[in-house]
Amino acid sequence: MGLSPGWRRVFRLPFRTARSLARDVDEELAFHIAMREEKLRRLGMTDDRARTDALARFGDRDRVRDECITIDRRYAREVRLMEWLESIMSDFGYGLRTLRNRPAFTIVAALTLALGIGATSAIFSLVDGILLRPLPYPRPQELVQFRQSYPEKGLDDWTLSQENLAMYRDGAHDFQSFAGFNSRGVTLEVNGTPERINAARVTADFFTVLGVPPLIGRAFTREEDTRSNNAFVVLSYGFWQSHFAGDRGVIGKTLDFDGQPTRVLGVMPPQFAYPRPDVQAFLPVGLDPTRRFGWFLTGVARLRPGVTVEQARRETTALMWNWARREPDALSMTVDPARTRMKTLVTPLRTAITGDVARPLAVLQAAVLVILLIAVANVATLMSSRASGRRREMALRTALGATSGRIVRQVLTESVALASLGGVLGIALAFLLVRAFTHSGAESLPRIGEVSVSWRVLTFTFVVSIGSGLLFGLSPALHSLKRRITDGLSGQNESARGAARRLNSTLVVAQLGLSVMLLVSAGLVLKSFRHLLNVDLGFDPTGVTAVLMPLPHQRYMDNRKIVAITSQAVERVRGIPGVRAAAAAFPMPYSGGVNTDGYLIEGHAPPAIAGSETQTVQVQVTPGFFGVLGIPLLYGRDVNASDRDSSIKVVVVDDVLASRYWKGADAIGKRMRMTGDTTWLTIIGVVGSVRDEDVASEPRPHTYFPFSQVPANRPTLAVRTTGDPSNVVTAIRKTIAELEPGVPLDNIRPLSESISRALDNRRLTEILLVAFALLAMTLAAIGIYGVMSLYVSHRHREFGIRLAVGAEPGNLVRLVFAEGMTLAIGGVVIGVAGALLGTRWVRTLLYEVSPTDPVVYASLAALLLAVAFASCYLPARRAAKSDPLIALRAE
Amino acid sequence: MADAESDLLRSSLDLLVLKALTWGPMHGYAISEWIEGATADTLLVEEGTLYPALHRMERHGWITAEWGVSENNRRAKFYKLSTAGRARFRAQAPVWHRHAEAIAVALRRTSLEFR
Repeated sequence: MGLSPGWRRVFRLPFRTARSLARDVDEELAFHIAMREEKLRRLGMTDDRARTDALARFGDRDRVRDECITIDRRYAREVRLMEWLESIMSDFGYGLRTLRNRPAFTIVAALTLALGIGATSAIFSLVDGILLRPLPYPRPQELVQFRQSYPEKGLDDWTLSQENLAMYRDGAHDFQSFAGFNSRGVTLEVNGTPERINAARVTADFFTVLGVPPLIGRAFTREEDTRSNNAFVVLSYGFWQSHFAGDRGVIGKTLDFDGQPTRVLGVMPPQFAYPRPDVQAFLPVGLDPTRRFGWFLTGVARLRPGVTVEQARRETTALMWNWARREPDALSMTVDPARTRMKTLVTPLRTAITGDVARPLAVLQAAVLVILLIAVANVATLMSSRASGRRREMALRTALGATSGRIVRQVLTESVALASLGGVLGIALAFLLVRAFTHSGAESLPRIGEVSVSWRVLTFTFVVSIGSGLLFGLSPALHSLKRRITDGLSGQNESARGAARRLNSTLVVAQLGLSVMLLVSAGLVLKSFRHLLNVDLGFDPTGVTAVLMPLPHQRYMDNRKIVAITSQAVERVRGIPGVRAAAAAFPMPYSGGVNTDGYLIEGHAPPAIAGSETQTVQVQVTPGFFGVLGIPLLYGRDVNASDRDSSIKVVVVDDVLASRYWKGADAIGKRMRMTGDTTWLTIIGVVGSVRDEDVASEPRPHTYFPFSQVPANRPTLAVRTTGDPSNVVTAIRKTIAELEPGVPLDNIRPLSESISRALDNRRLTEILLVAFALLAMTLAAIGIYGVMSLYVSHRHREFGIRLAVGAEPGNLVRLVFAEGMTLAIGGVVIGVAGALLGTRWVRTLLYEVSPTDPVVYASLAALLLAVAFASCYLPARRAAKSDPLIALRAE
Repeated sequence: MADAESDLLRSSLDLLVLKALTWGPMHGYAISEWIEGATADTLLVEEGTLYPALHRMERHGWITAEWGVSENNRRAKFYKLSTAGRARFRAQAPVWHRHAEAIAVALRRTSLEFR
């Protein structure tokens, strides 16, 4: 096809080199001067005179020449550009037309690409929104989270007391501002109806640290955040909208929080989502800088410009040591700076928020990139099998004068047209997937509210789709180059076909290898997840409903009243039909955090370094709690009604703790105490160990106190029901409302659901990874099918002749399977090798599964071989049905 | 040469080339001869300045160029008015007339007032 003749006709200008342009100009100017010279001579001048005169009349010949050449060059460039654009457009149109003529090919190829591009863009959107994008606060790189670490006490990641907070806030120079917060539920009472809302208790500097002022109104000051003056609140935008319909008049109003009249000072802007997006109200901590006990605050601070995290960590660790030396009784220990491993934990805020999900997201991103690679390889295979079907067309074009460059470009343009189609579909898919992520069960992901398909992602997708188009177009394009005209026209080109098939075979082996790697990774994660679901928690959550019963502070200051109402509530709930058993505890497993303290055993020497006692998880339980949860009582007795405030202080320990010091029932009657208390507690029972914090971590030592001796004003009822618990929940609500109308029942949910939620992020990773692995396998199956079809169609004639001279169809079938399975085995071997190297990277996602688990490797390799075998079936059958007549007619 | 003057000259030169080519295809020398004859040698002081104008006009698409044979049997580049060039001439000629008249009137008036 070469140069479209249209443009040449329009411009009457052939392509010209720079030198021919200059030659033309020289010739034109020389002609003018010669003509003038001739005329002057005719008018009677001498030759010399005529020559000089002609030149003089012409003026500056060199300047004219340069000007003309410059203009012509520019002009030639414009013409070339326009011709190029025109031919690209015509190629693109031609590409689209040929795609339309082959709907089956186009649909398979475009969908393959769309899946690859869509999945990649969706995961990239997550990665972008969660990990890459800066936090939505001014100068976010200065923000850090601040906690303390006290490894000697088993408190590797530990919170701050109010005293600590004031100490760092006022004593450390590396911070511009320093604040603390903790999240908790509060009861809002509107017109006598109590409602539980999520609140954050924050110190006055909180909003300054983050650099976000309220949208309307103002934040509270340090004077409004003291022990005696703290009845103020800043509302979240969402809460303001839902409860006050965005009425600005709410500023200055008084609301009843936990029975305390509280004045509304301000409303935060809508995008403010720290420390959690579901916080509805910000209340002052009521900071008491002298309060030593009660470690419940997490610090958040803004570094001075230029100060590094490491500097801040050193400075504050020194402060922490000084404090511990100065106030030995605060930690019930003496600190030896030479030996202590005590330190502060200063973490960039972004890491603190997203640290847990960084690795799973990276793994998912790697997985989708693998999918994309497979998809591109797949489309390249499809394109190249099609290209070999178009040998004649290409040969004809070459014969008609198309240059090889021109043909390569046409094939490439066609690929890019296909890639654009896949890209458009992929973007649509990405939008759908991201919507699904942000609107569904993924709310446990941090910053999920900030995730969207952004222009960055769209650029990424665009580059990927065009790039992939060029990539998968390149092989058939180059390979179309190699062909000789005569080969194509006569239909004889076994060597070029062989090259095409070798390339395709390589691609298929690569695809299979990548799929095996992905399948193995997904298999390992899946197996880990199954392990996690089947972990023996030490108790049986099925059929148990947890009901949080937050008692109003104002009315329940007195421990006796707390114990009384709790035991009444348990009694009445037990009487509800459908309830098999009920008890109360604080805290309930998987309700978000446990209490711990160090302990000492009577008769055992305290540890050499005071304060480095082993930690035990503390739970306060009413009689029958172990029975409700199905925690086995191994020795001794449960707490019971005889354990009263006035009676001897008792405690139940778990197996983990007891077996460290005693054998079997020997623990009963021994005494222990908590490091923060001098009272000796008598061990009355030993129960089984439980995992009540995190499914994946080993059980820690537990001590269970009788609720009657150590009450708490936020007990949770554990109710074991027969049948559907939802029938009983209404009755429980009614019963509690009759008993104490001021208690807003909240967090009513099956215990198994809380446990399941703790696994949400792992589940999301698992589901996505398995989906990606299956997708990869499907794509690889399509790939192997494509290659084998190509193989059969290339050898169609040969097969036909073999059949004609009496070959068994079964032999041909075996031949095809042998060829296909050779590829498959090659892919599996490469994939297994790759997985052995690569899966170490997913180790942090695994639980009690080795990255080289042989069962996973063997079963998934077998699965892939089976899929490959199935993919060979259709091509093999076609081979067996090769018709010698049709094959020969194709000559 | 000041910019304004050069622009004025350039656009008048373009117009003259277009006018010359209304007679039929011509090579550069013939165009310069026609312009010199028509303007009594006032406009084309240096004949060379014609050529950049011709090449520029070719780039604009007002004229097209083709190599041919001259009246004395030499290879010469012939210029021909394109459809766009014809339209350009029809549009620009009246504008030139109006401007020239306006300038002439203005210059006469000024010189009277100065007198």
